[in-house]
Amino acid sequence: MSNSSSSATNANISESTSDTAQLISNDDASTSNYTQLNKSNFEDSDEDELHGSHGIRRRRPKQKIEPGSMNVLSAKYESLDYDTCENHLLLDEERKRGYPYIVWKDIARWFIILLIGIVTALIAFVIDVCIEEFSKIKYSALKKSVDKYVLEDRLYIPYLLWVLSNIGIVFIGSMLVAFVEPVAAGSGIPQVKCYLNGVKVPRVVRIKTLIVKTVGVITAVVGGLAGGKEGPMIHSGSVVAAGISQGKSTTFNKDLKIFQYFREDHEKRDFVSAGAAAGVSAAFGAPIGGVLFSLEEGTSFWNQALTWRTFFGTVVSTFTLNCALSAYHGRAGELSYPGLLNLGKMEPFPFQFYELPVFMFFGAVGGLLGALWNYINYKLAVFRIRHIGAPWLRVVEACLVAAASATCGFLMMFLLNDCRPLGEDPTKVPLQLYCADGEYNALAAIWFQTPEASVRSFLHDPIGSYKPWSIFLFVVCYFLLSTWTFGLAVSSGLFIPNLLTGAAWGRLLAILIQYMLPSNTINPAKYALVGAAAQLGGVVRMTISLTVIIIETTGQISNALPIIITLVVAKWVGDFFNEGIYDIHIQLAAVPLLPWEPPPLAHNIYASEVMSHPVFTLRTVENVGHIVELLKLVSYNGFPVVDPPLADEAEVTTYKRLRGMMLRSQLIVLLQNKIYNENANTTWSNLKVDMNMFRKEYPRYPSIEELEISDWEKTCTIDLRPFMNPSPYTLPHRASLPRLFRLFRALGLRHLPIVNDVNEVVGMVTRKDIARYRVWRHRGHMGMEELILSTEV
Amino acid sequence: MKQYYILIVLYMHNRILEADTVNSNEAVYGNYGLLYTNEGYIYSIPKECSKLLDEFAESASNFTMCSIKHARPISFCEKCVDYYKDFSIKYKNLTTKDINGTSCKAVFISNDRLEVVLEYYNGIMSLWNKGNCNACFDWTKEPTELSNNVKHFNQMYNSTMQCIDHWKPSTNSSEVCEQCMQNYLELNNFYNNMSTDSVGLEGVCVDVVDSMNASRYIWSKTLNCCKLRQSPETVFLVCTGIIASLPLIFYLTVRFCGPIRDLPKVLKQSRFKQTILRSVNARIN
Repeated sequence: MSNSSSSATNANISESTSDTAQLISNDDASTSNYTQLNKSNFEDSDEDELHGSHGIRRRRPKQKIEPGSMNVLSAKYESLDYDTCENHLLLDEERKRGYPYIVWKDIARWFIILLIGIVTALIAFVIDVCIEEFSKIKYSALKKSVDKYVLEDRLYIPYLLWVLSNIGIVFIGSMLVAFVEPVAAGSGIPQVKCYLNGVKVPRVVRIKTLIVKTVGVITAVVGGLAGGKEGPMIHSGSVVAAGISQGKSTTFNKDLKIFQYFREDHEKRDFVSAGAAAGVSAAFGAPIGGVLFSLEEGTSFWNQALTWRTFFGTVVSTFTLNCALSAYHGRAGELSYPGLLNLGKMEPFPFQFYELPVFMFFGAVGGLLGALWNYINYKLAVFRIRHIGAPWLRVVEACLVAAASATCGFLMMFLLNDCRPLGEDPTKVPLQLYCADGEYNALAAIWFQTPEASVRSFLHDPIGSYKPWSIFLFVVCYFLLSTWTFGLAVSSGLFIPNLLTGAAWGRLLAILIQYMLPSNTINPAKYALVGAAAQLGGVVRMTISLTVIIIETTGQISNALPIIITLVVAKWVGDFFNEGIYDIHIQLAAVPLLPWEPPPLAHNIYASEVMSHPVFTLRTVENVGHIVELLKLVSYNGFPVVDPPLADEAEVTTYKRLRGMMLRSQLIVLLQNKIYNENANTTWSNLKVDMNMFRKEYPRYPSIEELEISDWEKTCTIDLRPFMNPSPYTLPHRASLPRLFRLFRALGLRHLPIVNDVNEVVGMVTRKDIARYRVWRHRGHMGMEELILSTEV
Repeated sequence: MKQYYILIVLYMHNRILEADTVNSNEAVYGNYGLLYTNEGYIYSIPKECSKLLDEFAESASNFTMCSIKHARPISFCEKCVDYYKDFSIKYKNLTTKDINGTSCKAVFISNDRLEVVLEYYNGIMSLWNKGNCNACFDWTKEPTELSNNVKHFNQMYNSTMQCIDHWKPSTNSSEVCEQCMQNYLELNNFYNNMSTDSVGLEGVCVDVVDSMNASRYIWSKTLNCCKLRQSPETVFLVCTGIIASLPLIFYLTVRFCGPIRDLPKVLKQSRFKQTILRSVNARIN
């Protein structure tokens, strides 16, 4: 239908096509495709649309999607190729290299992990030190200004100074994020999670992203936003891993000619998972937490060797960071210096059996608040998607939030005169404001420091340090500010703001308990820590890795049980209402993420319903013109290679026998190097056709439009057999959805040809075909829905 | 923590009381107590060591007495420095004295779990260090005297207090503030410059810290001279109002004035079933 025009122009192709390569065929089936073929109108399609492919009637399908819908998958995302292509070239390489090559590759792998650990830690160190130093400068200047103008009744001068410095600093970071690299916005954990799940998120592991992220997080935290540096550090670790393991940078057009054998998605993704873990470990000083984070949140394909290497990376990272930081703190070499612990060394707190329900209560509060936090943030994200699309609007919004943060802080100091005597609590920048001489404003002490230092204050200060009323207002303010901040065009995470909110309300509850039980001594540190864990757990819904991270950052393993109990309850309570914040953002981005488990009760959905039906195939020896047309016409990345048909009849739908799988990237490289049968003895007789030819272009292959194919070439042919994967995984058309899912998930497949009884290709299953079956669970109900696809989300 | 040291002292006192009761009980219960006390170990403790121990005990009790007497207002660094020096010398004597190859240290220290001598030594040393008392004195001079900083501080403190004392009886309370402002501010500034950190504790001995705290308390709480700090700050409040309302305006503007974007289209998926249905339909039609 829509393609009939092209058939007229290119007679050559119409000859060569058969019914399965649906380029030109007049068959009705050819109208359907994900992308380019979608121009036709479907007046008669209501009937079949009403039947979802699993036999359940769907709502009447809409032609348009409400922006901000979570029930959409974007067709723009591609998968990573986790499966090794066992073509002749690979066999050749294995034959030539032998075992020394494997040993060498293993050594190189360890060496790269070592480098990843070191570089990640150094980046984290730079971020840490910059934030620390710039904050010190900023807050000392502000303190001086406040001290000066408070006596002159001109407090608006330091206030405006604060607002302007916040805006100025955030403006830089926000401009970078909005205009240079939008993918660097936010914490980066959702993106890394998608990448590790096997989705190629564009530009997520580029050096440009790393630079924007690093500068962005420094500006965000120094700019006084309610954001943390932990998520960006994790993202940085991933970028570092992806960069180092490749031995080249496409951005700088520099190829070091090393580690060529790691230039494939499989190896790269393993390194990225190690890099993310190293990032966690550098952010929190938590090596085991890093490994568990990678395991819980990220990597879909896990094995023992990778665990062990990842652990090595995290340990190197923590070690390097501690070396650097101990030198920075003037205690070089003192690796167990307690100042290195992010949240400060926690004393073991004794707890009684009867306190466990109290911890559960804290967990429930954390779950409720976390769910509320996620809900508000979700609504804001939808609003942002709908109305704040232009980059300059996003910059303006970020600056306004920065101004609002300063306003919030200053108003609280101004209105709540919570004075504490100097010297009883550790405060770096004591601000007197309206307090008596020898006293300082407790709220100013919280606001005039980095959020991380505030968490430490809430965790470790004595019980009387803050008035309950001021803590309450702080909790409300910071809760709203942090949920407002997450999702702005700045790179900042949500760990520290949530820990801060949680520590504050934990301390508030501790004070209330103290009021109720005046005879007992309540340890505020215990409840502040449990509250912090509960709030963060309620937002991100991580359990085991978060527990270990908190234990490691406070350096006290004996507090594990209360934290575990709290986090489990927080997750349960939160999951009752909505998803974790990362999943919400992944769903809003319409990423086809595969969950851990296939949908339940789905054994009655068969491959024949899941697959996309008319398959574009290539013949074993294929015409160049046809390949070029095909690549230009569809956006698919995998093409089954089939035997030439016995009979070529347009009327009857026939299927052809599967011989192998060919990837788009391979075709592009073949075309680029002009590996044609016709010029085998001339053009590429000297060219070494081996795996490195394909690795050279990785990961950014040119698009088909960028290739120059002259007319004479279009009549040439390519023999695909040496390059294709001769034994792709296949499933019969009667395979069930869970079976498809498990094969996909466990092997990290990208394409799965569906064959009939005689091994003829009848359909193709890709990640999006499977990911569109999504299970939802809310408020005690669950079900499965089928998502719709769109290219424009 | 102050109570802790008082507790130690009380404990010590209690023990003495206990000992008294034991002694008095001896008369009642006859010789059921230990007979071989004091020199009663088979190898008797050298006389010199016992003498040193007595001296040590006396110096410790002197220092303890002095420190408790000067607990409030704190002036124990200044007042008890001589006792402290005496105490450290006595301890040094006790631990270094050697009689015929038997060191007194070996007799009194590391022999039992209680470690009375060491316990009191540590307690007194930590009390002294906790008050940062060494910072008060110039240790290069003999006899030890207050360091110049502290002397200067005391001078300023005295003149401030004198001033307050002088003007206090006047009926108008703001009179005191006005008159003594100069003195007080000088004192305050001098104090702020004494310490190395921003909080004003590092490197300043507890006597000075306490006098400063006291004068600050008198100044801002008793005399209420800081009330000039409280002011309406209308400009500031207006500024916050404007800036806080900016985001609201921004959101409302983009909500109602922003361009209406085309909604994303739903993609048609190509499925086996649809294909079949469609071709069947086509054939029927």
